[in-house]
This record gives sequence, structure tokens and C-alpha cells, in this order.
Amino acid sequence: MFYLETGQYKTSYAKDQQIFPLVQDRVGMVVILLVAFVAIPLLSSNYWLSTIMLPFLIYSLAAIGLNILTGYAGQLSLGTGGFMATGAFAAYKLTTAFPELHFVLVLILAGVITAFVGVLFGLPSLRIKGFYLAVATLAAQFFLVWLYNKNPWFTNYSASGVISAPPREVVPGVVVTGASGTPEAKYYFVLVLVVVLAWMAKNMARSKMGRAWMAIRDMDIAAEIIGIRPAATKLTAFAVSSFYIGIAGALWAFTYTGSVEALAFEINVSFDVLFMIIIGGLGTILGGFLGAAFIILFPIALNQSLLAMGLQNAIELASHLEFMIMGALIVTFLILEPHGLARLWQIFKQKLRTWPFPY
Amino acid sequence: MDADAHSHEPRAPEPRSGRARAIGDVLLEVRNVTLRFGGVRALSDVSFDIKRGEIRAIIGPNGAGKSSMLNVINGFYQPQEGQIVFKGTPLKKMRPHFAATQGIARTFQNIALFKGMSTLDNVMTGRMLKMQASWFEQMLYVGRAKREEIEHRRFCEDIIDFLEIQAVRRTPVGKLPYGLQKRVELARALAAEPELLLLDEPMAGMNVEEKEDMCRFVLDVNEEFNTTVALIEHDMGVVMDISDRVVVLDYGELLADGTPDEVKADPEVIQAYLGVQHD
Repeated sequence: MFYLETGQYKTSYAKDQQIFPLVQDRVGMVVILLVAFVAIPLLSSNYWLSTIMLPFLIYSLAAIGLNILTGYAGQLSLGTGGFMATGAFAAYKLTTAFPELHFVLVLILAGVITAFVGVLFGLPSLRIKGFYLAVATLAAQFFLVWLYNKNPWFTNYSASGVISAPPREVVPGVVVTGASGTPEAKYYFVLVLVVVLAWMAKNMARSKMGRAWMAIRDMDIAAEIIGIRPAATKLTAFAVSSFYIGIAGALWAFTYTGSVEALAFEINVSFDVLFMIIIGGLGTILGGFLGAAFIILFPIALNQSLLAMGLQNAIELASHLEFMIMGALIVTFLILEPHGLARLWQIFKQKLRTWPFPY
Repeated sequence: MDADAHSHEPRAPEPRSGRARAIGDVLLEVRNVTLRFGGVRALSDVSFDIKRGEIRAIIGPNGAGKSSMLNVINGFYQPQEGQIVFKGTPLKKMRPHFAATQGIARTFQNIALFKGMSTLDNVMTGRMLKMQASWFEQMLYVGRAKREEIEHRRFCEDIIDFLEIQAVRRTPVGKLPYGLQKRVELARALAAEPELLLLDEPMAGMNVEEKEDMCRFVLDVNEEFNTTVALIEHDMGVVMDISDRVVVLDYGELLADGTPDEVKADPEVIQAYLGVQHD
């Protein structure tokens, strides 16, 4: 009743194949974009923008990247942290070696370099699947972090092993990296990148490439019969996925933290992103955002509300409670809906559509 | 939808009712194929041919090598000896991808659909090889990427209409009942506009009505699109009714080859299927 498609006639396949075929969805998307581009920068403090919204957006991007590989193409990967580190260090090396290079170009090149590294570590996927592949990508995780940590060339021989983002402008006068960038500038820069990249991911997912990924995921033998090349398809998924994760890693180092060491991209980053796509919903673009919101935003909201409820003097207790509630919620969600928050949202929309006559 | 937008797009051929079926020259020839798995001979020295436009049945008791034969034809198994001659070109080795580009499509005995994808996406995946858009166009959803999605959607919708699965277009195929899944799999194979369609037990596990529907679809495909069909089937009634010629395999060897009536009368076939009376 609140979400009726009655009367919305699609008179061509082009109209039926839009990303949002329903008016309600399109309106909803415009509202979300207005909130993201206008309301949030107006209403939230610098602290909010730089410590909550930035990691949320960057993790969303990494989750979209991993979802392409694991959710769409069905290749389980635990190398996300290593690939994020690759993006961060590639961007650092590029921008210090060629300071004149535009920062967007630096990001794209860092993504391309990560894509190559991803393809290299994706090669085992041609022979092994599932948990065995996860173990093979675990090797990427440990090797890459070790490489950037132990090899001083990657940090330009800094004594501490930490890379600090030099200030880079995206348009003249607007610095978006390092300590000298304003939170608003960084937020808008990351937001635009994430929106554009998410839209591109959706486009790939709904065309030939996406169907090839899903075909390989669901039944690789039948996919081969149809004329899909399993090796090329899997490696494309690794390349595109690593491209996204690499850009996310570079943004993490350059806009969010400003200075970072290789050990910041340890295995728990890989797990976090994997949890995000499992909780958010495998094989959906929306799932990346929902999962990142659940893992990043929700604990903060929980913590704040616990403190507001009179636990100001027991911060330690509040944080323990936060862990316990988060854990319980993750388990509950996965039991209620193993396909993640994106599927819950679908079910909710269906309920809205049929209410008050749910049959 | 306006009518003139249709005219220049590729479309599934219109039904040609009442057309006499023309069985032409040899489309595919299996020449002295021997397939071994270690010490087991799955096929030994099997030769037969499939002519353009015919419905060719492959029958035989369980373990006779029927599915292995199909797997050899579309390149899953490489025979140790012998050749596959497709459209006059002898091939020592057939590869699944090459077979697909040459116009050989197939369905599987245990349905091999993409379970997480909708019926429409499954059928669209069948047209994979007809799509030319570069990754860049797909990423931005412009140019050929957008155009092809619409053109091929139109073609796939024709096939969906033809097989009467419009109602489940958007349903993930994992949720469909068995009979419909079989139909979606046929739709996916047809989407590739194959010259040779290999069907591995298309009617297994179906009730009489479903079998009749499936027979009608196979005959329609053969008549309307002039697709050559090679099928494996255990239901002798079906085989004798719809096929033009029958190959009988037993223990990997060719037992008989001929029209349904010839095969039915062959004493060796009777022996393999029924056994002979010992007095």
C-alpha cells in the first residue's frame, strides 16, 4: 500500500532495465543523496565528518570491492587488508615520486596497481575454490603487509615505517589529503568518489560482466558450456575487486588517517570487510553500504546511547556492553536472515507493498 | 512498445507453421571415438552421425556411455581415440568454449542452472557470446552495453514467451519447481541460437503432462527454429514418437543405429533391454 507499483507501466525494455524502475525508489535515492550531500555536511560537526562519515564511506567502498569478488563471483578472499595496503602504498609512492600528478589520477593508478597485484594473487583461484582459496588469499594478506612493513623503499625510508600523506589539491585551493585538508573537503571528495564508483559497480553487475561473474559463482560447468571463460572471468573479478579495494586503501591513508603504517592493514581489516558483506548482503551493492553502516556507525550510536543512559562514569562498562550487544545482534541477524540486511530490506519493501493484505 | 522500433532488431524466427521439415546433410559426425577413464572404457570405437534438422535420440541402459557421448561432443571429455567432425571440419579436440562458439548448446541431466539468478538473467546469460560491449562501456552503461541489453532482452523475451515461462521471469530459479527449471534450462540453451542442441534426459523425473509439454517444446524448437536436436532419454514412448533416428549404446559400444522402427526390431537391442529367453 505504501509502496505500490500499480499504475507504473514500463513501456520499453530500457525503462524496465533502469537501476530503479519504480518512482518510489528513485525518490528515495534522491532523498538519500540530498541527505548525504546537503544535510550531513550542514548538520554534523567536523568531528562527525572526519571520524565517522569518512571511515563509513571508505569501508563501504572496500565492501563493494570485496562483494564483487566474493558476493558476485563467489571467490572467497581474506586478502582485503593486504590489497588496501597495496593501494595506500602505491598512492604514496606515486604521489611522492610525481608530485605534479593530479590526485584523482594517483588514486586511479593506485587502483590499477592493486588490480595487478590482485590478479597475481587471484591465480590460485583457477585451481582451487572456497575455503582453500581463502587460505591462499590469506597468504596475500600476510605477505603484502610484511612486504610494506619490512621494505623501507615503500615508506621512502622513513625511520618509523609510517607514511604521511602530503597535501594534495583536487581543484586549485582545495586540499583533500593529509592534515591540512578540511573535513568538509575530504568528505565531499570521498563521497563523490564512492557514489560514482558504486554506480559503476552496479552497471558492471547488471551487464554481461556481472552475469558472467554470477554464472561462475552459481555453476561453473554450465557457465563454461555457454562460452564463459572461467579463468578470464575469475581474474576480471579479482582485478575489478582489487581496483576498488586499492582505492579504498589509498583513501584510508590519505583522507581518513593522514598517516599510516603497514600494520594498520592487518588481518582484522580483512575480517571486518568480510563481515560487512556477509551482514550487509552478498551479491548486492546496497549490502556494502548497509554492512559498513552496521559495523562502523552502529557501535558508535550504541556507545553514545549507553553513555546517555547514565553510564558516563563507567566508560569501560559501556564499551564492554557495546561489544556484547553487537555480538548478540550479529548472531540474531544472521539467524533471522542469512542473506543479510539487503534481503531484510527487500522483505520489508514487499511487506510495505502488500500491507494491509499480506496474501 | 512501438512497432517500428522492432523491425531492425534481431529477433527469434517467426513460427513457420506447416513447413515440411527438411533433413539435410551431415552436421556432426562422431568417428571411431574411444574414451577411457583409467582402465574403464566408457566408449569404445563409437561412430555415428547427426544430420542437419533431425531429432537424434541416444538411448541405452544405465552406464551405457550416453552422457559421456554428449560430454565428448561438447568438449568436456577428450576422447583418447577418434574424431568429432563438426560442419565438415575434423577436430581432434573439442573444448567447451569452442563448442559454444560453434553453435553447440546443451542442457544437463541434473539441472545446471545459475540458482541465484532470475529466470531472465539465466536466459540472458545464454546470449553471452553474442554481446560485444567492452568493459568500459559496461562500467558506464553506455553505447553498446546499453543497446545490447535491450536488443538481447527482446530476443530472450521471445524465447521466454515461446517456452511459456513469462510468469517466473523475475523469480530466482532456485525457487522454481523442477519442471519449470528444466524449461528455463532449455530456454537458456536456446538463447544461444544453437545449430545443435544436446539434451541430456530433458524429461527425467516429470509426470505425463510435463513430459507432453516438453515433447511439444522439443518438436517446436526443431520445426520452428530448424535446430538439430540430439537427446538422451529413457522413456521409450517419447523416443520412438519424436525422434527421426536412434543410436543405441550398451557398455560403451554401438549396438544399433537406425529409425525407431528398425531399432525396435533389432534382436540385439531387445536382448540388451529385455534379455532373451534361455531354453
